[in-house]
Amino acid sequence: MCSGNRDKNIYRPIETEVLDVVTESPAIKTVKLRPREELTFQTGQFIELTVPGVGEAPFTPSSSPAVKDTMDVTIMKVGKVTEKVHELKKGDIVGLRGPYGVGYPLDEYKDKEVLVFGGGVGLAPLRSLMFALLDRIDDFKKLYFRYGAKTPGDIIYKDLVREWSQRKDLDFRITVDKADEEWTGHVGLVTTILDDMDVDLETAIAVVCGPPIMMKFGTFKLLELGFKEHNIYLSMEKNMSCGLGKCGHCRIGTYYACKDGPVFSYDKIKDFHDIWQ
Amino acid sequence: MKFITNENLAELLDALKEDYRVFVPVKKTDIGSYPIKKGAQRYYREYEEFTDDIVIGEVRPFEPLKAFFTAAREVVAKGFTSEVPHQEDKPFAIVGVKNCDLRQGFAVQDHVYKDHDYEDPFYVKNRENNLIIASDCTCAIDTCFCRAAGNQPYPEENYDINLSPVRDGYLVEVGSAKGENLLEKHASLIEQVGEERARERDQQRQRVTEEVDSNIEQYEVPTYSKFKSDIIERNWDSDVWYEESKTCVECGACTIICPTCHCFFLYDQKDGDKMERLRVWDSCMLKHYARVAGGENPRGELWMRLRNRFEKKFDFFPKVADFYACTGCGRCVSACPAKIDIRKVLKRLVDNV
Ligand SMILES: Cc1cc2nc3c(=O)[nH]c(=O)nc-3n(C[C@H](O)[C@H](O)[C@H](O)COP(=O)(O)OP(=O)(O)OC[C@H]3O[C@@H](n4cnc5c(N)ncnc54)[C@H](O)[C@@H]3O)c2cc1C
Ligand code: SF4
Ligand code: SF4
Ligand code: FES
Repeated sequence: MCSGNRDKNIYRPIETEVLDVVTESPAIKTVKLRPREELTFQTGQFIELTVPGVGEAPFTPSSSPAVKDTMDVTIMKVGKVTEKVHELKKGDIVGLRGPYGVGYPLDEYKDKEVLVFGGGVGLAPLRSLMFALLDRIDDFKKLYFRYGAKTPGDIIYKDLVREWSQRKDLDFRITVDKADEEWTGHVGLVTTILDDMDVDLETAIAVVCGPPIMMKFGTFKLLELGFKEHNIYLSMEKNMSCGLGKCGHCRIGTYYACKDGPVFSYDKIKDFHDIWQ
Repeated sequence: MKFITNENLAELLDALKEDYRVFVPVKKTDIGSYPIKKGAQRYYREYEEFTDDIVIGEVRPFEPLKAFFTAAREVVAKGFTSEVPHQEDKPFAIVGVKNCDLRQGFAVQDHVYKDHDYEDPFYVKNRENNLIIASDCTCAIDTCFCRAAGNQPYPEENYDINLSPVRDGYLVEVGSAKGENLLEKHASLIEQVGEERARERDQQRQRVTEEVDSNIEQYEVPTYSKFKSDIIERNWDSDVWYEESKTCVECGACTIICPTCHCFFLYDQKDGDKMERLRVWDSCMLKHYARVAGGENPRGELWMRLRNRFEKKFDFFPKVADFYACTGCGRCVSACPAKIDIRKVLKRLVDNV
């Protein structure tokens, strides 16, 4: 477990200042936050962000877990809370609870090939993971990055993505489902850019994050390629309210995604019904 | 044997009002001018004086005991201060609590709210401070099937004091240090009677046990030993869910009234210029329950939600905590306007295997 607001009231948020708001795309913004009490996380864990008086929703920080005093959260506008998040300005006050759940067991990835495999908004939580992996890249045998977006316009963090594409120590490929005039890269579903990898399938790790449909077909593709079930890590998004394993909402089989996840290796959940829904 | 007369019990309850808000079950055949269709119901009412409609024995009141431990709607945070918001001035003393709520009801609620990683401070405080004066059931109504769920119709655990109704009063048993202290404080109200009075109690227990068993037989309720064999898994694709959920009007009564159902959502609102967070009971039978961003709903159909409700009670809890999350109290049977009957659903599930 990680440090956080583990005080006597598990429901209260920590007062948090909005330091900056960055528009990533018409529907996506990144808010930079500074909690007024200590709140650090491990990559893959999530937090509950409160817009005071409006509501709370779960998000995965997109910044490096090594940065202790601030936290970035990248948020797509989809409904009640996220709309209000998009109206936030520098200096506004919000609330944070967490961190909650279990993140990626990076120590277990040591000396192995690691594939970071994402789609769509899945890039936000994976940015945090990439920061954490790149920080200790010498620990891994090789690091692969494979990502797909609908169109070039949907790719967020463009500068960072360009920077990654130029790194010698990262095997990097991205694709779009549909190109525009300027796009010179690969076109096709994200599952089509995995074929050139040459990894030890007994040990290679794959971390998958994206919309449910991408996770489903991405996982099947990895299994087809020969990745082992226990080496495929999925980040499960369920309806959540409490984040504490109490309210019941996020149950998957015998687990609560908020407490036993949100990161699960595929072998742990594959026998439950309807996991992709 | 400790014994208390009716008059002395009234006096004890009067005295408890000093330190507690005392709630007693009363029996009613009408609510205001509306007659209750199915005979009489038993409700909790705040105790003022000892009136004729108070029933210490009989069966469980309609409201589940959980309502005294996690209110249906409760402020759990105000602003960003770590202080626990102000609660009731006085803890509750709840009288006439029955074993279905005590044993399995608490088993589930404790499992959820006293989880050692994240204790719910409101529940924990209520659990420490509330007083439970339990009582034996002195009859069974036709919806009672506690013994099929592994419970006896008399308190087995989780009470401070238990009252067994006998001639002219109650045999008194102590179940906790709190109960012990209370009886010491009010020692003048308690009499000693011979061990032979226990026979009266045991005969009554035996009679009620038989009444419950005859219900179980009449409604062919499978007993918990038959639930064991993965009934949910084996019925995953069965027609039972669709057929049984057809009449559901999605009112959520079955889960709200259930002593084991614990789901809630956190709801934020403004209190002046501060934020106020409420913990509100939720129901997995309602459509919004599992909906995620963009309107996707993994349990968009009613039959999926009925299956989920049974999965939680008869598959999840036995696997994670080794008990079934149904007490056999029968409340959902009386509450459901669509006449969906858990006993019948269980029978179909077991028969289908
Ligand atoms: C572990 C986890 C990590 C996430 N990380 C991110 C992230 O980094 N960036 C991002 O943009 N989104 C993320 N999401 C999704 C985000 O939580 C939802 O988009 C958000 O809850 C929608 O809230 P809303 O009030 O704006 O939407 P509305 O549709 O208005 O929500 C209304 C109600 O629907 C329910 N609801 C809808 N979607 C969800 C959901 N996915 N989870 C829980 N409840 C929901 C809630 O009960 C909410 O009260 C994450 C979700 C989870 C579970
Ligand atoms: S499911 Fe029905 S019978 Fe079982 S404990 Fe809940 S209300 Fe009582
Ligand atoms: S009480 Fe009956 S009608 Fe209401 S939600 Fe439950 S099953 Fe449906
Ligand atoms: S979010 Fe409440 S149990 Fe997981």
